[in-house]
Formats: sequence, C-alpha cells, structure tokens
Amino acid sequence: MVIHRLRLLVLSVVLSVTASAYGQAGDSALRVEGAWARRAPMMSGDSKAGSGNGAVYATLVNPGKQLDALVAAASDAAGTVEIHESYQDMGMMMMRPVGKIEVPPGGKVEMKPGGYHIMLLNLKHDLKAGQTVNVTLQFQKTGKISVKAEIK
Amino acid sequence: MYHRLTALLALVFLAAAAGAAENPALKSGVFNPPRMAPDFSLRGSDGTELKLSRYRGKVVALGFGYTFCPDVCPTTLVDLAAARKKLGADDENFQVVYVTVDPERDSVKQLRDYLAHFDPTFVGATGTPEQLAGVYKAYGVLISKKAYKESKAAYLVHHSSFVYLIDPEGKQRALVPFGRSASDIAHDVKALLKR
Repeated sequence: MVIHRLRLLVLSVVLSVTASAYGQAGDSALRVEGAWARRAPMMSGDSKAGSGNGAVYATLVNPGKQLDALVAAASDAAGTVEIHESYQDMGMMMMRPVGKIEVPPGGKVEMKPGGYHIMLLNLKHDLKAGQTVNVTLQFQKTGKISVKAEIK
Repeated sequence: MYHRLTALLALVFLAAAAGAAENPALKSGVFNPPRMAPDFSLRGSDGTELKLSRYRGKVVALGFGYTFCPDVCPTTLVDLAAARKKLGADDENFQVVYVTVDPERDSVKQLRDYLAHFDPTFVGATGTPEQLAGVYKAYGVLISKKAYKESKAAYLVHHSSFVYLIDPEGKQRALVPFGRSASDIAHDVKALLKR
C-alpha cells in the first residue's frame, strides 16, 4: 500500500517536471527547426562574383498568438547575409531580396530551395558537407535566435 | 524579341506536357517528335573550344545558370551530381554542360572552380555576348539582369531554370523542370542511354 502510494507520488513528480520542462521550452515561443545549409565553395575572390555565396534554410514555427517576422540574419561564415526569395514566373526562376518573412500566429513558414532562403554573400570559408555553420536569425518580436545549420 | 521567346517557351512547355502524357517512359517532359539539339561553339571551362556535338554518344544534361546564384543553381547542380552517382558504370556516358547566364562575372576559371565543387566532370561554358545570345535563343532560355537597392549584390540574374536532356544521337529529348529528384533524372538518363 505504502509502496503503491510512493510509486504514484514519484510518477506524478516525474510527470509534472516533464510538463514544466516542455512548457518552458515551447508553449508559445517561436522556434527555428531543421536549419540546414547547401554545401558551397569559397571562391578565390579574384572575380567580380566575390568569394562565393551560399544559402541557409529552416522552418520557422510560431505557436504563439502574435504575428512575428524574420527581419535579418547574420553568420560568421559570410561577409553579408540577406533574406531572399526565389520564385518562378513564366518558366523563369527569379530571385529577389525580401525585407522580412512573416510567420503568422499558430503557423509556420518553410524556407526551402526554390523559395525563401537566407543568402550568405562573400563566404569566408567553404561550406563543407557534414560540418555546421552558425546563423543568427533576428525576429521582430522574439529577438535573436542562434542555430547551427547542418551543411548538406 | 521577348514576346517571341515567351511564345517559344510556351510552345516548348505545351509540347513537353503533351509528350509526357503520351510517353510515360520518361519522368520529365519529352519532346515529341525529338529535334536535333542546336549545336554551338563556346569557351569550355576545361580550357578548350566547347562544341556540343563533341559529346555525341553520351547523354548530355544542358543547364543554364550562374555561380553567384546561391539557391536554385546549386540545388540543380547537386541534383545532377547525385544523379550521376546513381548511374554506376553508365556515368562515363553522361555529361553535364553548364552554360553561364552571367558572362560578366563567370570567367572560365570561375566556372571551372565552381563546378569542380559539385562534380569534377561537369563542364562550364561561356563566350562572347553574341555567341551566348545565340545559344540562349536556340534553347528558348530567358535571362534578365536586375539590381536591387535592398541587396549588396551588384545585380541578380533571373533565368530559365530547366535542364535539357540530349540523347547520344544529339537529339533534344527531355526538359527537366527545377526540383526534379536525382532519382528521376538518373532514371531518364538511363532510359535515353538504352535506346
């Protein structure tokens, strides 16, 4: 009887601890999931094309009740970092810089090849498959979130 | 000029769509009937004069893009490299030819260094503006350069993103749209090598 009551007590403590851990991590906080970068070479830099470019992708998840937006990004692997979008028009692949990517409340935005991406300009080193690249995403409301993007 | 190219491109897409329905053997849009791929002579990133007809006997994947491009072009090149790896012993009979849409920034060396990162067998091509214009026109490739004040990039290049598959006889057989998987591309290359 005593043992059973103890078991119940232990179980309930474990459950409540687990619940609070999850609560802190992500009730309503914006998350950056599955960040990855395309492998890319650093170029010699003797051409007008600069030292090479790369792209980082991630899924932005906003479980909260307020609209948030990715407004800037930075990385120690690149001279300049911009938010861009590729899109198709009449069979042509276009690319343009975008000021921000809005993430609606309760929604998510998947950045992926041929769509939204974080463009790394003037790479400072090769982006080699199997390694990671540090990227800091700046959100309008949430502020900065740093992630390690897996290079594939 | 622009309208004529747009019309040509629309025709190619219609033909590709119609062909795909009639010929399920290929996973990409097919040309039905196939026509000879227009030959050209450009400067190859391997340092030689690059004539398309040099690759008779192989399946050629002919793509257009530029090394400054961070998203669409490297995605296509990674897929083509992965497709080549899936060919096994047939990889000797597959050649990727990548024509720049940005000759101002893509020197022979730039193309060579860039493509080597994806696959050492890939060959890039550039040329004079006139030579390149002829190739773009022959293949219905649209290009437009645009500068954005919001970007530190001097300019970006909008361009057609499909890849042509040319069979060992030098005939244009398929149009691979952006985003097609490496497995699908490898499947089509193998199918064209068998004929």
